[in-house]
Amino acid sequence: MKQSRAVNILFVAPCVFAFIMVIIIPFFFGIYFSMTDWNGVSNSVHFVGFKNFKNLFSSPDFLYSFLITVAYSLINIVFVNVVSFILALLVTGKSRLRNFYRAGFFVPYLIGGIVLGYIWQFILNSILVAIGKSLSFEILQTSFLSRPNTVIWTMAAVNTWQYAGYIMLIYVASIQSIPSSLMEAADVDGANYFTRVFRILIPMMANAFTISLFLTLTTSFKQFDMNLTLTNGGPATRFLDSPVKASQLLAMNIFNTATANRMAEAQAKAVVLFVVLVIISLFQVSVNKKKEVEM
Amino acid sequence: MKKGVPKILSLALVLVLLLTMASCAKKEKKAQDVVVNMFQLKVEIKDALDAYAAKYTAAHPGVTVKVETLGGGGDYGGALKAKAQSGQMPDIFQIEGRGGYNIWKEYIADLSAEPWVKDTDLAMKMDGKIVGFPVAIEGYGLAYNAEILQKAGVDPATLTTRAAYEKALKLLDSKKKELGIDAPVSMAASVAGGMWWVAAQHNLACYWGGGLAFDDTSIIDKALKGELDEERFNQYAKYLQLLYRYSDKKILLNGSYDDQVGAFAQGKTAFLHQGNWVDPNLKQLGVTFKIGYAPHAFLDTEEKGLYLFAPSWYCVNSKSQNADAAKAFLTAMATTPEGHDYMVNQAGMIPAFKSVTLKPSGQLSQALMEANARGGNYGVFFGMLPDGAGQNVFGPIFDLFAQNPDNIDQFIADMKKAVASLPNM
Repeated sequence: MKQSRAVNILFVAPCVFAFIMVIIIPFFFGIYFSMTDWNGVSNSVHFVGFKNFKNLFSSPDFLYSFLITVAYSLINIVFVNVVSFILALLVTGKSRLRNFYRAGFFVPYLIGGIVLGYIWQFILNSILVAIGKSLSFEILQTSFLSRPNTVIWTMAAVNTWQYAGYIMLIYVASIQSIPSSLMEAADVDGANYFTRVFRILIPMMANAFTISLFLTLTTSFKQFDMNLTLTNGGPATRFLDSPVKASQLLAMNIFNTATANRMAEAQAKAVVLFVVLVIISLFQVSVNKKKEVEM
Repeated sequence: MKKGVPKILSLALVLVLLLTMASCAKKEKKAQDVVVNMFQLKVEIKDALDAYAAKYTAAHPGVTVKVETLGGGGDYGGALKAKAQSGQMPDIFQIEGRGGYNIWKEYIADLSAEPWVKDTDLAMKMDGKIVGFPVAIEGYGLAYNAEILQKAGVDPATLTTRAAYEKALKLLDSKKKELGIDAPVSMAASVAGGMWWVAAQHNLACYWGGGLAFDDTSIIDKALKGELDEERFNQYAKYLQLLYRYSDKKILLNGSYDDQVGAFAQGKTAFLHQGNWVDPNLKQLGVTFKIGYAPHAFLDTEEKGLYLFAPSWYCVNSKSQNADAAKAFLTAMATTPEGHDYMVNQAGMIPAFKSVTLKPSGQLSQALMEANARGGNYGVFFGMLPDGAGQNVFGPIFDLFAQNPDNIDQFIADMKKAVASLPNM
């Protein structure tokens, strides 16, 4: 069997090579650059220690982006998972068109985030406002994207529209893997639909929740493309007595810092995002894992 | 035997992998032919420039000019960095101001000895050397629809003080119905629409350079040290407040470039806060009415000039072996009739070179050229600000002020604080 081991290594090698070159090495480079004053081009790079990190926690725009990202993630996780779970229940029901619905709900996921952002921007900024004007609905006449207090709710709604179909598929697969005899037995025992869902379905689907929560958590923390095209960070609002961009999530804050040729600072922000995301997602997975049951 | 097969197979696979990597690494170069790679960011002149490069290539055996364009919404700076890091730095690239110069100075060649230097006032000069070829002259004032102003009884020639603007805007606002306009001014200031630069870059440039001599940088020099000239800024803030108050709210707070230019082109506003680069857009939108430029007169005293600048410069890569061919290409653009034809007639730009006699066709470009000949114009200095100051610092402040134009004290306080933080950027 020794030979097969050598073969294994040979087959894995290209992937490992690519992984090391593209992920591992840049990762450590990134940590190094976050402690320098590099501007992205210059060959003279000076080590400055934790100065970049110290500056971050006194800059209102970063703190605001951080908080708004946490808030957005919470809203988004709830929206996406509740909606996709309900959709999953619907499309595993007895409807004759359930396969059609499954495909239909999944289609928005196939639209790229950039295109999606522009489409929804048009809907929210032009169509809804025009409808509001012609019906003289006060509430629709200002675009939902130009209200600093609600803009992240709007973003979460748009993201749910896109992402719920994908998470739905995970829930559908999980629901289908539960033996129907369990549900039928409960039905015979007189448990109503909601009792069956909450007492049997949800506990049996714990592993699907682990993966779905993990996916929604990480994608909402890293949300960028839709953010860029839908709101571009706007409108402005006030935080700690400084004007900041009301919907500038962390990834976009990092991007804007980097495009202003402040590479080291952007890299420091990225390292903070990475560390926070790792801690939160490890915590989430370990909590969820405890709830999982073996068949 | 059977065990040998996978081994041979995997060896072969590894070999294939190594070979592909090796073949990627050494791309063969033909020594005799010089290829000048140009990487530029003005999307609107892409076709014209491609055609000119092809013509140049045909006329100069042994030299091939290849143009790559990335701009508009694209991240030109990021792409250029990626090229530099991967050893594919272009021979000619484009920078947009002092920030760009500081980033790229290791790559920027000294162009002081080039023949076109004497022919222009707008070459980029840094550390006593000429380092950039001015791509064009761009400029702006407050563009007006002459027909609407005439109908309302406003003479654009009188718009040379803030008080005159206030009177005119009030008059236009009161006659909105009969003039068929939504609002007097089409201006955009939103971060969301990606239009922060209209307010926080171009309008703010009035404060930096308005009413001063063309090369007087005293106000922005002061700002770079963290000081705001309050008396001057208060006058500026009142002018901006005026524009904001009489702007179409939807465009101001949410509009995109197309919304802003479209409203003016359709005759829905009397004024447009944009530069001469909108000429092709206006032509596309079928504008037939007469357009002119009124000065951004924000001071209590009279101002008559427009704002003129070179928005970007071509730089030659000093580390390239093809630097001489690249310089020759730029020289030909500035000094030959074909080059002039390309700049003016094909690309529709106003060349920064005095020896060019051709005239652009756009109404706003013509207005700028006249102003340039007349003199008494103002410089535009936002390119001297640290990178990101406009987008990340001033942008939200101007957006916030647009949301609530009555809150002028807050705006002034915010700007004071922001300018005080400039030296640390």
